[in-house]
Amino acid sequence: MQPYELSLTAAADRIRTRQLSPVELVDSVLDRIERTEPHLRAYVTVTADRARSSARRAEQELSAGRAAGPLPGIPMGLKDMIDVAGVATTGSSRVREGHRADADSTAAARLTAAGAALVGKTHTHEFAYGLTTPQTRNAWDQERVAGGSSGGSAVAVAAGAATFALGTDTGGSIRVPAALNGIVGLKPTYGLVPRHGVTSLSWSLDHVGPLTRTVEDAAAVLAALAGDAPRDPASAPTPSTDRQPDADMDLTGLRVGVPVNYYFDHVDPEVEAAVRRAVDRLAELGAHLVDVEIPMTRYIQAVQWGLMVPEATAYHERTLRSVPERYAADVRILLEAGELMPAGDYLRAQRARTLMRRSWLSTLEEVDVIAAPTVPTTAAKADQPTLTWPDGTVETVSDAYVRLSAPANITGLPALTLPVGHDRAGMPIGMQLMGRPQSEAVLLRAGHAYERTGPPRTLAPVGGTAPDGTAPGGPAAAVDAMTLL
Amino acid sequence: MPAAELTPPEAARWAARTGLPLPADRHAEVAATADHIHSVVSVLRELDFGDTPPAADYRAAEEGDQQRAGTGENNAAV
Repeated sequence: MQPYELSLTAAADRIRTRQLSPVELVDSVLDRIERTEPHLRAYVTVTADRARSSARRAEQELSAGRAAGPLPGIPMGLKDMIDVAGVATTGSSRVREGHRADADSTAAARLTAAGAALVGKTHTHEFAYGLTTPQTRNAWDQERVAGGSSGGSAVAVAAGAATFALGTDTGGSIRVPAALNGIVGLKPTYGLVPRHGVTSLSWSLDHVGPLTRTVEDAAAVLAALAGDAPRDPASAPTPSTDRQPDADMDLTGLRVGVPVNYYFDHVDPEVEAAVRRAVDRLAELGAHLVDVEIPMTRYIQAVQWGLMVPEATAYHERTLRSVPERYAADVRILLEAGELMPAGDYLRAQRARTLMRRSWLSTLEEVDVIAAPTVPTTAAKADQPTLTWPDGTVETVSDAYVRLSAPANITGLPALTLPVGHDRAGMPIGMQLMGRPQSEAVLLRAGHAYERTGPPRTLAPVGGTAPDGTAPGGPAAAVDAMTLL
Repeated sequence: MPAAELTPPEAARWAARTGLPLPADRHAEVAATADHIHSVVSVLRELDFGDTPPAADYRAAEEGDQQRAGTGENNAAV
């Protein structure tokens, strides 16, 4: 096994016990990036020198017998919405031409302090306002969408081009690409991970969280990230809890809610079957399954849009007036149309959110976890704009991807996605576990127990470098932000 | 066209009132997108909110800290 194939936990263990050098690990991942990038285009910027220098520092500390941090020289990718001092935060947009961040975001600073080595900034759907990340290709099939908006982060982790990555999640942007690329993604409780220094899409819905290859890895990254930060207004004092799951696979006493409405409606039969099999596996581990009714489902999309559309437009107010032509067409039109939303609509969305939070919290008094599909289908072809369901309903791919993930953004509840199989075409399927505020430890324990019932996960089967140095064709190749930036 | 739908000239006028002058070739597309957004969010009018307050996103005690931190473009997410 090559170092780039190791999970975060396995790599950190080997580094701590001096079986693996952080320099060797970083070099292995940088080499993997070189081989996969022509196919996948997960990165806006690769920071090879910086990563090697972090790895050497970790190596020197270990050689000097000093205690290494929890992420000693572990190669990470950061979504290009997250500030790193001295590096551009492009948001994968030409709007940010010439940008350079003055300071580290709180998240980047905490991970650096934990020892992580930044290998690069990963592609996002422009300013995180979309669900496909058209610059990047799915790690399992390059003719399919990466998912988004943290598409670059998910693809890099799935391909072994980062040992872990961070994403942001406003309506599903960590969980959707994680599910579509067969990895783990955690959207923590609103406010648990500080957003200071992270470009906003929608302040009241934005979350920062890890994308990893295992649930255990997600817990390790969360431990380095979580905690009160006075400069994020959503941040609140949190108890210092040990969220790292142990080896105990016994889920006796855990009440797992299985939705009787909404979460299995307009869901691909193969996705439904895989998720129900995974839920049955939780029951075999001792969990008690309980039918739950999801409240206020008629209003989910309305609340999500009523909050996100005007908040995004507000964030981009100045640049929409000064350099509108630099936005991609799909983002520009949403920002412009957002100018026309009356304040009354925004307030209704905020008031409906109050009702929705109360209803979900009430449902979560009956169960500890709600288990459901993360997305209704596996990754769509890059040129496929809509899905048609058996009853004739037509839905855009983006609307379908956000449909099952938005409730956790509206309510601020934690949500973990983990792989639970593949469809007949070999594309990954994700299951989502949602819980009460600050119940990450419960979700991680259940997810880890599930994970331990199966064989270790393998990397996405990405081919070698294309003979002519280019990636395979397809509509995703139409936009190449690496050359634009 | 139903009375509630925006015409392209209305979209242009509304946008202009927000300080966003739209080029003529964008009026129709902006009107159509704004109408679609309106059709999604207007379902919330069915709800009787009673005394329900809007969900809040700030801690009053630390308002000063936030204002000091939020001075630059990249601090806008604080």
